[in-house]
Amino acid sequence: MVTGGPLKPGSNSNASNASDGAAPVLAAGIRNFTFHEGRAPALRDVAVSFPPGSFTAILGASGSGKSTLGRLLAGWLPPGGHGTLAGFLELSGTRLEFDGGPGDPRTNPAEWGRQVGFVPQDPATVLSTVRATVAEELAFGLENAGVERGDMMAAVDGTARLLGLHHKLGQDPAQLSGGQLRRLAIGCAIIAGPPVLVMDEPFASLDAAGIEELAALVRDLLKRGTAVVILSQTVDPLLREAGTWAVLSEGTVTASGPPAAMQSGVLPPAVRRVDRHEPATSAEPLPPQPIKQPVGSPVLELRGVSFAYPEGPVRGRRKRRSGRAGELSRRSLVLQDVDLAIHPGEIVAVTGPNGAGKSTLLRHLNGLLRPVSGSVAVHGADIAGAPAGRTAASVGLLFQQPRDQLFERTVLREVRFGLDRLVGPALAENRAAAALQAVGLAAAAEEHPAELSSSAQRLLALATVLARRPAVLALDEPTVALDGDGLALLDAAVRSAAAEGAAVVLVTHDLGYARSAAHRIVSLDGGRLVPA
Amino acid sequence: MTASPAGSAPAQATRPRLSPLTWLAAAGSTAVITTAAASWPLSAAVVAACLGLSLAGGTARRVLPASAAVLVPLGLSLLVLHGLFFPEGRTVLAAWGPARITAEGLDFTGQRILLLAAVVMVLLLFSFTVSLPDLVAALSARGVQGRFAFVLASTLTLLPAIAERARRIREAQEARGLVVSRGLLSRAAAFRLQAVPLVLSLIEDAGTRAAALEARGLSSPGPRTSYREVPDSGVQRTARVVLVLAALAAVVLRLVQAGAGC
Amino acid sequence: MSSPSLTLPSQEQHPARRRLLEVLGALAIAATYIYLVLNQPADITGGPGSASALIALTGFLAGAVLLIVAVLPTLPASTLVLIPVALVLNIVLGQFVGSTLVPFYLDAIGTVLIAVLAGPAAGAATGALSSIVWSFFNPTVLPFAAGAALIGCLAGLAARYGLFRRFYLAPVAGFVTGIIAGVVSAPVAAFVFGGTSGVATGAIVSAFRAMGDTLLAAITKQALISDPMDKAIVFTIVAILVYALPRRSRQQFPFLRRHRVLAGNTADTEARSDAAAQAPAQDPAHDSSRKG
Repeated sequence: MVTGGPLKPGSNSNASNASDGAAPVLAAGIRNFTFHEGRAPALRDVAVSFPPGSFTAILGASGSGKSTLGRLLAGWLPPGGHGTLAGFLELSGTRLEFDGGPGDPRTNPAEWGRQVGFVPQDPATVLSTVRATVAEELAFGLENAGVERGDMMAAVDGTARLLGLHHKLGQDPAQLSGGQLRRLAIGCAIIAGPPVLVMDEPFASLDAAGIEELAALVRDLLKRGTAVVILSQTVDPLLREAGTWAVLSEGTVTASGPPAAMQSGVLPPAVRRVDRHEPATSAEPLPPQPIKQPVGSPVLELRGVSFAYPEGPVRGRRKRRSGRAGELSRRSLVLQDVDLAIHPGEIVAVTGPNGAGKSTLLRHLNGLLRPVSGSVAVHGADIAGAPAGRTAASVGLLFQQPRDQLFERTVLREVRFGLDRLVGPALAENRAAAALQAVGLAAAAEEHPAELSSSAQRLLALATVLARRPAVLALDEPTVALDGDGLALLDAAVRSAAAEGAAVVLVTHDLGYARSAAHRIVSLDGGRLVPA
Repeated sequence: MTASPAGSAPAQATRPRLSPLTWLAAAGSTAVITTAAASWPLSAAVVAACLGLSLAGGTARRVLPASAAVLVPLGLSLLVLHGLFFPEGRTVLAAWGPARITAEGLDFTGQRILLLAAVVMVLLLFSFTVSLPDLVAALSARGVQGRFAFVLASTLTLLPAIAERARRIREAQEARGLVVSRGLLSRAAAFRLQAVPLVLSLIEDAGTRAAALEARGLSSPGPRTSYREVPDSGVQRTARVVLVLAALAAVVLRLVQAGAGC
Repeated sequence: MSSPSLTLPSQEQHPARRRLLEVLGALAIAATYIYLVLNQPADITGGPGSASALIALTGFLAGAVLLIVAVLPTLPASTLVLIPVALVLNIVLGQFVGSTLVPFYLDAIGTVLIAVLAGPAAGAATGALSSIVWSFFNPTVLPFAAGAALIGCLAGLAARYGLFRRFYLAPVAGFVTGIIAGVVSAPVAAFVFGGTSGVATGAIVSAFRAMGDTLLAAITKQALISDPMDKAIVFTIVAILVYALPRRSRQQFPFLRRHRVLAGNTADTEARSDAAAQAPAQDPAHDSSRKG
């Protein structure tokens, strides 16, 4: 039975744990779980249990098995489908035992999904892609369950209000912004009123405003009695309110208990503490000394750069929307009259909220986007004439999504790509090895890039940029997808690159990180660059 | 997925509220009957009717260029093929070496092009006029139809999304030094650089999406309801059955006629 | 409160109904082709409404639809969600190459990809679906649905019998598939359209017609020139793509594991996971499920 509005109330005891006496709504005892083509168990000796209405945080570095555990708990990895499970899963009083053999029960994903909601790391993958409006997308699960239309409309309405998407109900899901998409994904997970909600890295790539909204939503859900489980590789302020922390490392739970008991170094260094309003704590390296006098002429100079996205007709075989005629004939300027000069050895951070145009600015640095007016000059020469591929020799850009680039079969080949043509085969060998060493991936040189954890993939992308020794290093949101270890390696690599004379531009919404890493901070506000 | 391949909401309000399945039956049976009959006047009438309907419905701006894109190369190919080389033709109008323009060849080509134009236009008119969300909702009752509707709608949503992803991948590879020059080998290398990340990321996404959809009940048996209201009525259901029967009858009639004739 | 079961019943066998429909679909296609070949109408001026064109259309389309009806409901979600991706690859590449002057099609990459990952049945269904969905943009591809399904089926069979284990065998398999598929699709092009839809392929057919061939013979010869090369290229591209897949994407496709489609370490990892499964099974037996 599906309820439309408030979920069933449960005991709201944030500090509860298993010995409270309340039967856990979801529990798992995993002896081991191995993927079919895996070499070692992905999870070993994991025992977790979630009482109703509890708030649990599962912390672990990238690659520690958090996502695997989350999917297993949510029924997204049916045991036997992707891998073999030995252990038990217990949900709402029903206990299923598995021993990895052919006689194991097969979980029913639809029923499981009605009891446990899951929001994966990339919320866009939750979309059904077959529904034209946000309202229908929310109702998709209910439609498959055969719920009456009246009940569906009430449920959609209630959930949309809870998520703040009420005014977007008629919109095409493909046109939502990243934050709205994440909320929609959460809505799809909770609309059936499940007693448990599991979220995988919900804070990644959210700016301060987004995090506040998400925190308010989580508190709301807890008030309604849903048990919330958050998997994270950083300790965001919200997670301090959790009733229980479980630390996952290399596939097993190394520590578990209330947060207060966790301060004493039980957390692996890879799990970062994040405090977005203050500079990093003393455990982190000191911020670099600001450069008193700029040395020499600027390596990278933007003069009067303005940019707006072109409003051309939709290219393709068919125009799908009529009525575009009356739309925007004036183009809104994403960048207005931007001036920026960066000298060798300088580290500059560009901050601003999500959507302010920071990524757009970054794409101007190597010619992927051309300014409508103004010029971009590297080493004094305007890059307007050269294709982006040639400018890439002097400007190295690290994107947010390393997956977009990786195509080789081994890590080493990935780093060497293009180096042979650039510096000759002998030097290429050394450079590649040195770059891998700098990001700590020397041991993984023969692995398939897609098998690496997301943090390692980001570091691999960084290695491919470092190996080319560009004069300008541009990094898009370095803190996203990197755990504590990864961030430390990135910092070290960036500092040594700057020490060797490269100019570095960081784009980040994390002010605390910017303060600890950069010589100079500028902020993108309404399309204009102002010193922060 | 866009709300409609063709008109937006206001245009829909002025059209009679027929179920998309009725439009489908009408378009399909027209195409079948036209093919079975294969007569000049009928094909020409259908073409004229399609032109008229598309002008009336406001979809002419899309239907006509799309039809032209399909029919013009086909027509040219047929014209060159049968206009110039038609060994079965007797009445030669002009000849240059092996190429002979024959009246029979031109007649054959003309008939064929007219028939194909009729069928193509009626199907394209349907595909541009129908409201895709309504069609998906009408088909999503159960079993095969539901899954087919899923594949159809998902493909049409993915088209722009994949284009966007391909663009991002091209940008990422350009940032690593990819410069596409004219040579075939360079193009092949560039293709591999873009195709492999594209397909890998699509397959990985598909894996997650499959799990998400299963958790939301994609494979569950049993009745499904629909959030979206699709108009339908007993009259339309009867009309659909009649149309399908008419199409079948036309085919059988033609086969019998041909069997009796030869 | 008694909730619906959290478990599924143990593996359902594919019902006989599905097998019957599959066989009927294949029979329809085969019978139509044999009929067309045996009763070749030499005189094409009978027009497109002539018996052979209608038979070709109805036979092939009915066969394709039966295959879809049989296979689609049985596909797991991981394959079903991949089909739109395959269709987009087919449609985009097919439209793009069709607009250039190259005498190839390259419109079967998605179909062959699914066939290699999920088997001949899924490949056939993808081929048929590809034609049907593409016909929403370009209705002239609809009659070739059976040919596209045949390509998917043959590619799946090639994968199943190990022709993708060696890199150089894949183009050979593609070549043979191209021959068969081209020959099967030729009657459709001849009787329904009276020619081919591309200018380059049309030129080749003209050349054969100038030598006095019947239309069917000319189109079949043109198909034997374009199709095998085209499919060989497609199979090679798909082999490159599939070998580039990481382990964790491969493990969603039991077909790859079960038939050892790809060369490499799939054999010994199977042995390892078998050994791992042996060990817990030797523990004292648990009940496989216990209501708590």
